[in-house]
Amino acid sequence: MLMRRQFVLTLILMPITFGIWYAAGTLFAAPAVWLCDFLLSSAYPNIVEALGLQGVKVLARTQFGEDGGVIMAAAEAGNQIALEINTRLVSYSIAFYAALLMASNLKDAIYKFCIGLFWLWLIMAFGLASILGKDLLLVVGAPFLNAPGVPPADLIALTYQFNVLLMPTLAPVCLWFWQLRGSPLWEALANDIKRASARA
Amino acid sequence: MARFLLIFVGILVGLFAIEMLKPVQEAVIQPFTGLLAALSTAIILPFDDTVIAQGRILRDASTGFAVSIEAGCNGVEAAIVLIAGVVAFPASVKHKLIAISAGFFFVQALNIVRIISLFYLGQWNYTVFEWFHLYLWPVLIMLDVLVVYAIYLQWLGKQHPGVESA
Repeated sequence: MLMRRQFVLTLILMPITFGIWYAAGTLFAAPAVWLCDFLLSSAYPNIVEALGLQGVKVLARTQFGEDGGVIMAAAEAGNQIALEINTRLVSYSIAFYAALLMASNLKDAIYKFCIGLFWLWLIMAFGLASILGKDLLLVVGAPFLNAPGVPPADLIALTYQFNVLLMPTLAPVCLWFWQLRGSPLWEALANDIKRASARA
Repeated sequence: MARFLLIFVGILVGLFAIEMLKPVQEAVIQPFTGLLAALSTAIILPFDDTVIAQGRILRDASTGFAVSIEAGCNGVEAAIVLIAGVVAFPASVKHKLIAISAGFFFVQALNIVRIISLFYLGQWNYTVFEWFHLYLWPVLIMLDVLVVYAIYLQWLGKQHPGVESA
C-alpha cells in the first residue's frame, strides 16, 4: 500500500519537480560544471582548457584546433575546437530524485535533499566528463585517443553508457533508497525483503 | 546489503560491457532493436497504415518523419538493471528466471509504448518530443523497473507466508 502510494505520488509530483528544474536551469547544473571543469582541467590540461556555462549548455574549449580538415594542436592550428554540451542530459536526475524524495514524506527531507544533491552533482560531473569524452572521440578522434592518459575508445563508450544513459535515473533511486531508512516505507520494504530472503 | 551491492554493481558493469561487444551488438542487440521497431509498426498499422519499419527506423510514409531506435532507446539498459537486481537478491534460480522473464516483458511493453508515443510526439511538436525522449521517458522506464522489482520482492515474500519480521 505504502509502495503504491509512493509510486503514484512520484508520478503526481514529477510535473512540479521537472517544472522547477526546467525553470531553474543553470542553478542545478552549475556546481557539477564547476566540478567537472576542475577535474578535467587538472587531470587533462593538454586536452581541455576550460569549461564555461552558457545558460544550460557547457562550452568546453579544447586544446585541439583544425586546419584544412586536419586536427592538430590549437597553438599550431591558430584556432580552438569548442564543444557544446547540454547539461540537462544529466541534471534531470535532480528532478527525478526530488519527486522520489518528496513522495516519501521523510523527516528532515530538506537536509536529506541537500545531501542527495551533493552526491548527484558529483555523479553529474562524471556524466558531463563522459559526454565530453564521447564528443572528443567522435570529433577529434585519433589525436584525442593518442593524448597521454586518455583511456581506450571502448572504455570511453562504456563510461558514456554508464554515466549518461544509466546513472541519471539509477543514482536518484539508489540515493532515495539509502535515505528511506527509518521511514514507514522502509519498514514495509524491509519486511518484504526479510520474507523474500527467508524464502531463499 | 554489502553482498547485494557488490553483486549488483558487478553484474551491472559486466552486462553493460558484454552488451557493448561488437559480436553481441551484431548478433543480439541490433536484431532485437529491429524487432522492437517491427513490433511497434505492427501495433500502429491497424490504426495508421502510413507507418513503415526499415530496420531500426520507424517512418511515416506520408510526412517523411522517422525515428531511429538507438542504444539507450531499446530498453536493454533498463532490463540490465532489473537483471542485476534480481540476480543479486537471494532467491531460487526458478524464481529469478520467472522474475527476469516477466520483468523483461513489462519493461519492453512500456518501451514499445514509449517508442510509439515518441513517434507521434515528434510529428506533433519537436520540443515536446525532446522533453519526453531525453528526460521523461528514461525516468518512467526506471520507475517501471522499480515497480517490477518491488512486486517481485512482495511476490517472493508471499511464497513463504510463515516468516514474519521481528
